[in-house]
Amino acid sequence: MILKESPYLILISLFILVGCEHKNELNKRDGLTIYQEAQISWIRNFNPLSPAGSARWPTSAGIYEPLFIYNSMSGEYVPWLALDYTWDKGNKILEMLIRDGVKWSDGEPFSAEDVAFTFNLKRKHRALDIRDSWGYLEKVAAVSDTIVRFEFKRIYVPGFDALATQSIVAKHIWNKIADPVKYSNPNPVGTGPFTEIIRFDSQLWELGKNPNYWQKGKPHINKLIFPTFPSNEQVTLALLSGNLDWAGAFIPAVDRVFVSKDPEHHKYWFPLTGHTTFLHTNTKDPILSDVRVRKAISYAIDRELVVKVGMYNYTEPAHVSGVSGPMSKWHSPYLDQREDWTVYDPVKANMLLNDARFIKDEEGWRYTQEGLPLELDIIIVSGWSDWIRSAQVVSQNLKNVGIKAKVKTYDFGAWISRMQKGEFELAIGWAEKGTTPYALYRGMMSSEYLKPIGEITDVNWHRFSVAAADSLFRKYEKTSNQKEITGIIYELQQLFIEHAPSLPLFAEPAWAECNTKFFTNFPSAENPYATLSPNYFPENLFVLVNVQNR
Amino acid sequence: MDKNNDSIFTRWITGILRNRKAITGVAIIFIFIFLAVLGPFITEDPTAFLGTPLSPPSWEHWLGTNGQGQDVLSQTISGARQTLLVGFTTGIMVVLIGALIGGISGYYGGRIDDFLSLLINVFLVMPGLPLMVILASWLPPGPATLTGVLVLTGWAWNARVIRSQMMTFRSRDFVSAAIVSGERNIRIIIVEIMPRMLSLLASSFIGASIYAIGAQVGLEFLGLGDVSTVTWGTNLYWASNDMALLTGSWWAFVPTGLSIAIVSFALTMINFGIDEVTNPRLIAERVWRENIPMDTVVNGITPVVRDHE
Amino acid sequence: MNQSLHYLLRRLGFYFIAAWAALTLNFFIPRLMPGDPAAIIFARFRGKLKPEAINALRETFGLTDEPLLGQYWSYLKSILQGDLGISIAYFPEPVTNIISSALLWTIFLAGLSLIISFSIGTLLGTIIAWNRSGRLDSTLPPVLAFIGAFPYFWLAMVALYIFGFELSWFPLGHAYGNNVTPGFNLSFILSALHHAALPALTMIIVSLGGWMLSMRNIMITTLGTDYISFAHAKGLSSRLIMIRYAARNAILPNFTGFGMALGFVLSGALLTEIIFSYPGQGYLLLQAVRAQDFPLMQGLFMTITFAVLAANWLVDIAILFFDPRTRK
Repeated sequence: MILKESPYLILISLFILVGCEHKNELNKRDGLTIYQEAQISWIRNFNPLSPAGSARWPTSAGIYEPLFIYNSMSGEYVPWLALDYTWDKGNKILEMLIRDGVKWSDGEPFSAEDVAFTFNLKRKHRALDIRDSWGYLEKVAAVSDTIVRFEFKRIYVPGFDALATQSIVAKHIWNKIADPVKYSNPNPVGTGPFTEIIRFDSQLWELGKNPNYWQKGKPHINKLIFPTFPSNEQVTLALLSGNLDWAGAFIPAVDRVFVSKDPEHHKYWFPLTGHTTFLHTNTKDPILSDVRVRKAISYAIDRELVVKVGMYNYTEPAHVSGVSGPMSKWHSPYLDQREDWTVYDPVKANMLLNDARFIKDEEGWRYTQEGLPLELDIIIVSGWSDWIRSAQVVSQNLKNVGIKAKVKTYDFGAWISRMQKGEFELAIGWAEKGTTPYALYRGMMSSEYLKPIGEITDVNWHRFSVAAADSLFRKYEKTSNQKEITGIIYELQQLFIEHAPSLPLFAEPAWAECNTKFFTNFPSAENPYATLSPNYFPENLFVLVNVQNR
Repeated sequence: MDKNNDSIFTRWITGILRNRKAITGVAIIFIFIFLAVLGPFITEDPTAFLGTPLSPPSWEHWLGTNGQGQDVLSQTISGARQTLLVGFTTGIMVVLIGALIGGISGYYGGRIDDFLSLLINVFLVMPGLPLMVILASWLPPGPATLTGVLVLTGWAWNARVIRSQMMTFRSRDFVSAAIVSGERNIRIIIVEIMPRMLSLLASSFIGASIYAIGAQVGLEFLGLGDVSTVTWGTNLYWASNDMALLTGSWWAFVPTGLSIAIVSFALTMINFGIDEVTNPRLIAERVWRENIPMDTVVNGITPVVRDHE
Repeated sequence: MNQSLHYLLRRLGFYFIAAWAALTLNFFIPRLMPGDPAAIIFARFRGKLKPEAINALRETFGLTDEPLLGQYWSYLKSILQGDLGISIAYFPEPVTNIISSALLWTIFLAGLSLIISFSIGTLLGTIIAWNRSGRLDSTLPPVLAFIGAFPYFWLAMVALYIFGFELSWFPLGHAYGNNVTPGFNLSFILSALHHAALPALTMIIVSLGGWMLSMRNIMITTLGTDYISFAHAKGLSSRLIMIRYAARNAILPNFTGFGMALGFVLSGALLTEIIFSYPGQGYLLLQAVRAQDFPLMQGLFMTITFAVLAANWLVDIAILFFDPRTRK
C-alpha cells in the first residue's frame, strides 16, 4: 500500500520543499528589484547609441552617463561628467569643462577625448545621430584632456540639451567596433554606477556595481535586479506582494490597492512634471480649423471630472499656458489679462459654437451650415485605460454641448501612425518636453515641423503654425541671456493662448512607487532631491547613486 | 420524397424537444437573449459614473459598482447584447460558409474537391490566435471587425467536418437513386442531403457560437475590441485594469465571468442533447477517421452519420 | 506498402503547398496593414527626433521601397537559407535568437499541459464510456464542461489571485525563481516545476473536458460495433476488451486532434503568458504585431506553421502505422 502511494508522497514533499524555498526568496534582499520596461523576455543589448532605442534600461543613464543632468525638481542642470560650460560671445562656440579623475569600469581613464569621440562617431554613422545634433554642429574636438569644444554651423542655443544629455562611450572600446549601428554591446564598459553584468537570462538579469565608479562610496547598493513583467497587472501584483522595490507604473486607486497592503513601507509619489497631456485638435480638419470651435471644446470640458474619473485625482487640470507645477515659474505675469479657456464654462462653449454657426436641432445636436452633423472621433491607444476613461468623460462633456464625440481605441502602432500622418480629429496625447517651454511651443506652433496630412511627423501632430511664433523661435535660438529668454517665452505664451492650437487637458504626473522595507533614501515629497520615477532619463541616475540599504 | 423529409425533420425536432439536456440549455439561452433584448429598458445607463468606485453589492447597486463607479448589474445585462449578437452571428456565418464550401467540395469531388480541400486545409493550419491579434489590432475596432476576424479564423474546421459527412452521404444509395432519376444536383443537396445533416449543422452552429463567444471575450480582454462599448469582454478588460481582484472587489469580476460560463455551458448542454438524440447506429469508417477535432475543446460534438431509412 | 508510401508522399506534397501558402499570407498581411515599423520606432523617442530622421531609421532597418514582389522573393530565399533576419523591435538582435529564448519555455509549459490533459482526459473518457451507468458518467462531463465554459483568462486570474496571492501556495509568475540559476541542478528543476504548476493546472483543467468528452463519445460508438459484441460473446474479459480493443481503436481520431494541438503548442498560450509573466512565443508574437516587426512576426509564424505541419505529418505516419485500414 505504502509503495503505491509513495510517488504521491514524494511529489507532495517536493512541493513543500520548494514552497519553503519560495518563501525564503521574499526575505533575501541583496539587490534592488526594479520595473521600468514591460517585456516578456530579455534581449541582451546595452548599446546606448542604438537607433532603435532597444538597449536595456538603465544603459543610457546607469551604465553610461551624460555630461549634465537636468533635475526637474530644482529646475537646474547638475554637473555630472562635465563640470561647467560656457558660450562664446557669438553663441557659436560652446566649451565644456570635463571632470577629472573619472575612470571607465575597465580601469582606463576617462577624458575629453571620449566625449569628442562619441559625438564624432555619431557624425560618421548618421543613423546614430537620432537627435540630429550634426544638423547644427560643425566640429567637435577635445582641446585638452579636460576641455571639449563644440563649434556650431548656425546659432542654436537650445542645442545644448541634446549635447549635455548625450551618453558618453569609451573611445578605446568603440573605435574598434566596425558597425556601431548594429552592435548590441553585450559586455558594456561605462562610467556609470552600475556596469557589471552579473547574470543575464531571458527572464531575469542582474547589474552589479562599477568597481571604479568616480563618486567614492557610491552607489550604496550592490546590484540591480530586473525580472520580466509583461503587464501592469503583474507589476501591481509584484508591488503588492513586496517583490518589487522600485517601479514607474500607473496604479489605479493606489492608496487602496498598494499602500494599504503595507502602509509603513509602500510609498508612492506622483509629482507633477511640469508638462501637460493634451487633447490634440487637428487644425487642418475643416471643423477644427476654426479657433472658436477649439476654444469652445476646451470650455466644454469639465477637467476636474476628467481628472477625478480618468486619473483617480492623481493630477490636476492643465494650465492654459501648457506648463504647470515645477514649470510654473515660466508663467507670464500678464496672464490674468488673457482669456483662460481651460475653465469649465459650458455656457461660453455654447456661445462660441453658436458664433461659429453650428446650429442646434431640437434634440440638442449641432449641425454645420450644410446640414452635416457635428461629429468628432477621439482616438486613444487601446492599452492606456486612464486616457480612455478620460476620453470617455470628454466625450460626455462634448455631448452636452451638442457635439457627437465618440471614443475609438487603436493599438499603439495603428494609433501613432494616424497621429503622425495627421489622420485624426481629436486625440489625447503627449506634447514636446524640454527644460524650458520652448520645446513645447515649438512643437505647437513652428512651421519648421509643419507637414501636410499624410506625411509622417512625430512633432506638431495637430499641424498648426503661425509666422509670429517662427520669428520668436529664431530669436530664442540665438540667445543665452536669461532675461531675453524669459521675455520670448512670455510672448510665445500669449500667442499660444490666443490661437489655442491644441488643448491642454491635465498636468502630467510622474508615476513612481517604491518599497522602503529593505532600501531607504528614495526621493519623496519630503525629500525631493530628484523625481522618484525611473521613467525619466537621465534623472534616474540621482536615485541610482543615492538609494541605500536599510 | 417530401413526406420522408418532413418526418425526418419533425422527428428530429421532437427528439430534441424531449431531451432534458437540450431543453435546459435552450431555456437558459432564451433567458439571456430575453435579458439582452430588454436590457436598455430595465437597467440604468451602464456608462453613467454613478457611485463610488468598487463599492460592494448594496440595495442601491445589487451587484456593486466597478472601478469607474458604474453599476455592475447594468453592465452585465447590457454586455450580453453585443457579445451574444456577435457570437451567434459568427456561428451562423461559419455554418453557412462551412456548408457551402464543405458541401460543394464533398459532393462534387474531383478537381473542385482538391482545390476547396486545399483551401480548407490551409486555413486549418494557420495559427488562429496570432492571426486574430494581427487583424484585430489594425482594423477599426467594433463588432463588425470582431465578427469578420472570428469567421475568417474559424470557418475551416466546420467546413471540413461537413465535407466528410457530405462525402459519406454522396456514396449512399438514395443519392445514386436520385441522380439516376434525373434530379438536379442542387435539389439533391438541398432537399435530400441537408435535412439529414441537421444534427451536424446544429452542432456546428452551437460549437461555432461557443468558440465565437470565447474568442471574442479573449480579444476584448486584450483590449483589441471597442473599449468604449459595453460588452462582457470589455467589462472584464476594465475590471482587470482597475485591479478589481487585487482589491478584493470580486463583484466587478465574477458576474460577467459567470454569465459567460453559464451561456457557454448551456450551449454545450444543447450539443449533448443533440448527440443523444442522434444516437448513431452506423458510423462510416471514413467519417470518424477523417474527422479531426482541431480545437482542444470539442464540446460534445460527435460528427456522425444518420441513417434513418 | 506502395500505397502507403504514395499516400504519405501525397500528404507531404500537400504540406509543402500549405506551408508556402501560409508563408505567403504571413508575408503579405502585415505589409498590407496601414502603418510603418519605422514610424513606430520613431515614436519611441517621444518627439526628440527630427522628421527627417525617419528616413535614416528606415534605411537602418532595411525597409526599402523595393517593389513588393522583389521583397517577397528575397524573403522566400532567405527563409530557405534559414536566415530569419534581424528584428526591428529588438534591433539588432537576430530573430532566431529571440525565438529560441522563448521557444523552450513554450514547449515545456504548453507541451506538458497538453500531454497531461490529453492523457488524463482520454483515460477518464475511456473509464466513463465503459461504466455508463456509474456516477462518474453523470457528474464528470457536466462538471468539466462547466469549468471549461469559463473564459480561460478568467479562471487563470482567479486561480492566481486565490492560490498565488492570497494563499501563497504558488509563485506569482515567471518560469523559475530569482535565486536559482538555470542549468541541470535540482533547485532549478524544482523551481521550474513549482512555477509551471499553476499555469499548467489552469490550462489542463480547462481542456480536460474536451478530451474526455470526445474520447467518451467515440468509445461509446465503438462499443456499439459488432466486433466488440463478438469479443464479448467469445468470453474475453471486460478489461481486455476495453483496453486492447475498444480504447485502442477509439483513440485514433482523438490522436489526430492531439497531433494538431501539439503543433499549435508553439503558437504559445498568449493569455497564460500574460497573466503568469511566463516567457513564451505567444506574447512575443503580440509584441511583434504591435511593433509591426515584420521579421520577428514572420519568424514566429514560420516556426508555428512548420510545427503544425510537421505534427500533422507525424500523425499521418502514426495513423498509417496504427490503423491497418489505411494501409489498404
